Amino acid sequence: MMLQLLELRERVKNFYQRYDAYLLPIIKFIFAFIAFQTINKEIGYDERLKALPIVLGISLLSAFTPSAVMVLLAGVISVLHIYFVSPILSVIVIVILMILYFLFARYTPRHGYVLLAIPVLFLLKIPYVIPILLGLISTPIAMVPTSCGVIIYFLFQIIKSAVTMQINISIEDIIQLYTHVIDSFTGNRQMIMTIVIFALIIMVTYFVRKMSFDYAFEISILAGGLTSILGFLISYLVLSRSDQILSMILGTILSVGLVYIIHFFRLTLDYSGAEYAQFEDDVYYYYVKAVPKVTVTVSQVNVKHINVKKSGKREFSDPDTDETEDYDYEEEEYNNKDE
Amino acid sequence: MLNFKKIRLMTKLAVYEKKDGKEDIHLSKYYKTDYVRFQTLKSIITATIGYALILALIAFYRLEYLIKNAVVLDYKLIGTYVLGFYLMTITLYGLGSIAGYSMKYDASRKKLSRYFKLLKRLEKVYNESTHES
Repeated sequence: MMLQLLELRERVKNFYQRYDAYLLPIIKFIFAFIAFQTINKEIGYDERLKALPIVLGISLLSAFTPSAVMVLLAGVISVLHIYFVSPILSVIVIVILMILYFLFARYTPRHGYVLLAIPVLFLLKIPYVIPILLGLISTPIAMVPTSCGVIIYFLFQIIKSAVTMQINISIEDIIQLYTHVIDSFTGNRQMIMTIVIFALIIMVTYFVRKMSFDYAFEISILAGGLTSILGFLISYLVLSRSDQILSMILGTILSVGLVYIIHFFRLTLDYSGAEYAQFEDDVYYYYVKAVPKVTVTVSQVNVKHINVKKSGKREFSDPDTDETEDYDYEEEEYNNKDE
Repeated sequence: MLNFKKIRLMTKLAVYEKKDGKEDIHLSKYYKTDYVRFQTLKSIITATIGYALILALIAFYRLEYLIKNAVVLDYKLIGTYVLGFYLMTITLYGLGSIAGYSMKYDASRKKLSRYFKLLKRLEKVYNESTHES
């Protein structure tokens, strides 16, 4: 069973290596499409923005641009949807988003996608993927964008309920609406608890992963899932919302499974991502596709070994990490050829 | 003839320049103090904007109360509070930025020095190849 999986991994890796120039935009396109469709389904007040050509168009745009563009587009579309029903609410949303950006999110530019992923995954009932995954691949600093993502999700939930309130144009109504939004925003105990639990999940996963025992990665995923189940169990019991417990437990189990799958393929996808480089010297132009040498032949597989290597130094990858091992080895090979 | 040793070096350099290197090389144009000071200034400005926005939210939330009691409000007390929290925010963000961006600068320098090591090696390869030909 394990062997077959590893072989599958090799095959996925080879496939990815060959076609990664096309695969990456396709994957991004799918993610963008899911995200925009979820937004449209949840707060799609403006029918014009829900038209399929527009959704496909912006998904396509996101596929070929950096992930920050996707997050920005999602923000713009959400605000436009809300503007369609209530300009006042859209102003509130913009101000709160700006506060989140200026005070928190701008310090973690690499985790911008988390801001979009958490609300979307919340709607798909599996937000637990993000904190477990970030604990696994990132550092505790990821708590900042995660918290922002949670806040954004609950903000839009509140906006959604506020939209249904009768809105007239008189000043009093506006103030009443505004007070309602702020009251339910600051008094939202579930939001605060979610932030705390997500932060805990990241910490637990991160510190268990850093420990030096066998299968630290796998155990850290489980520990993160367990933290999530326990934390949300307590929070739902305190808030007496026991109707959500079942979907939470199922969602967590699903999330743990998803993270495990990602973890299983991560080594493959992360490090076999080929690099394309262009440069020249006096004689030639070079268009080089550089493929990292991380091969695991099925016969000599050692899962633990790969993980140790990965946790070691790749996270802050240096320009020449593979220099000492691979480089010398390569050189020998070429020298032999020359002879 | 293709010089594989050179190609490998140049590829590594090009890949680094394309990814992390872009930022590192950009950073290397600044002195550390200049860079940290500039980033800290930016953090303080954005923190100020964020603080002002939060203040605006609170003010609008309390609008009715503020208008009703506009005459009898203790503006001195409110001003002290606003200023006090502002100074706290600024200090927090300022110190955080100084620490964070100093660390970032040092880390990027370390990566950059490896890059220069490779560059030097490339130069050596170049010299060798010109000697041969």
